[in-house]
Amino acid sequence: MTAPRRSRALLLVAVVTLLLAGCQGGFPADPQGTLDRAREGVLRVGVSENPPWTLVAADGSVAGSEVELLTDYAETIDAEVEWVPAGENTLAAMMREGQLDVVVGGLASDVPWTSEIATTRPYATATGPDGAEVTIVVGVQPGENALMTDIERFLAERGGEL
Amino acid sequence: MNGSEGEGGEEATGSGHDAFGEEQREALRRATRLEWITLAWMSATVALVALVAGQSQAMRAAWAEDVLSLLPPIAFLVAARRIRKRPDRLHPYGFHRSIGVAHLVAALALLTMGGYLAIDSVMTLVTVERPPIGLTVLFGHAIWSGWLMVAVMVVTSIGPVVLGRKKLALAERLHDKVLFADADMGKADWSTAIATIAGVLGVGFGFWWADATAALLVSVSILRDGVKNLRGSIGGLTDAEARTYDDSVPHPLTRRIEERAEAEPWVGEASARVRDEGHVFHAEVFVVPVAGTEPTLDRIAALRDRIDELDWKVHDVVIAPVPELPSTQTFRSTLRTGPDPRP
Repeated sequence: MTAPRRSRALLLVAVVTLLLAGCQGGFPADPQGTLDRAREGVLRVGVSENPPWTLVAADGSVAGSEVELLTDYAETIDAEVEWVPAGENTLAAMMREGQLDVVVGGLASDVPWTSEIATTRPYATATGPDGAEVTIVVGVQPGENALMTDIERFLAERGGEL
Repeated sequence: MNGSEGEGGEEATGSGHDAFGEEQREALRRATRLEWITLAWMSATVALVALVAGQSQAMRAAWAEDVLSLLPPIAFLVAARRIRKRPDRLHPYGFHRSIGVAHLVAALALLTMGGYLAIDSVMTLVTVERPPIGLTVLFGHAIWSGWLMVAVMVVTSIGPVVLGRKKLALAERLHDKVLFADADMGKADWSTAIATIAGVLGVGFGFWWADATAALLVSVSILRDGVKNLRGSIGGLTDAEARTYDDSVPHPLTRRIEERAEAEPWVGEASARVRDEGHVFHAEVFVVPVAGTEPTLDRIAALRDRIDELDWKVHDVVIAPVPELPSTQTFRSTLRTGPDPRP
């Protein structure tokens, strides 16, 4: 293929993409419509215990700063939170299966579950076991960019960045 | 180029620069300058893209390509230095072949770039990796990172487009295949940028596969360019028939050399084998004298000079008078059997 034909084909792809997108609301959009579903509905949040960010009691009730954080966020979209306490690898597997929308547990920004969990911008810092500074993030269903940017905006506003 | 010394005269293979006329010298100077600019531009791009790439697979792929596209300019600059040297005891044919080696490096860079992009996008599609693209806070304003990526891709692709076009023009004048492959790579850079933009916007609209699909389309054409350049460079290094700067057709000079030899009254038949040494050609011309005439030293030297004057690219000419054409060389130029590709 010659260069002009190649670029013309790409231009076509871009235009078609834009036209298709004109029919939808919100930018960036969620491929699976998570934010729209959770709004005035249910936000499914996985909790891995990691005090002081998250605490899980014997009866399964949850507490901690990130639980409060997500409760406050859910209020901004009028959502009920369904808390799912479990270990990090179980939560990662549930994310992969699309059974969760968000994961909290004092996750560091270099969380190893990169294909299961997308991380927000860092919203806090803590000191790791080796004394080095780690940045704390919230885990989001990968690719659900409307939900992700909405949470990131909430975190930035709460942190006074915006 | 050389004076009127005879067959196999001591200045038959000068340095690459000796072969050039003033026009080619000027072209080489400009090409060298363009490649330095390319290096500077691409280094800045590599740094900038690394800053905004984040978690986007497409942006990481674009970054890897930018790193790879540093190779052809480096190869060109190294080769352009090497060809300044004159032949010596250890390098009796001179250093022209450095251009061929640089062409091979450039071709492999293209091939690797296309292969990397193809594998990366297929993996993304097969494993259904939905690219997360979040928010960036810039001077107290929240911006979707996708817009930043689009902006960076637009800015960084201007360089390769402008430089690529200029290099393409010089590549033909210099008969420089490294420059040609590099210009190809610039073109590839630019279409990757457009694909990345389309992909990132697609992701913004909720089509997670847009990114990888656009990249896959581009990778096919990059791979094709890579294979074409790899074949061309290996052909050149293994003494295949000399071809034009873009490897599209056999070089018409081979035929013109044979025709020039046969135009001499004392030559009955002539067959030339011409190989591309990089920029310049090395020609061995087998001539069969007409029965009853002597191939005197004067006649051979005169023929050698006339062939030499055909084109600046004809750089190293050896005339071999033989009683009959060697049985292995009777095919002559393939151009004789096909249509003349000259316009």
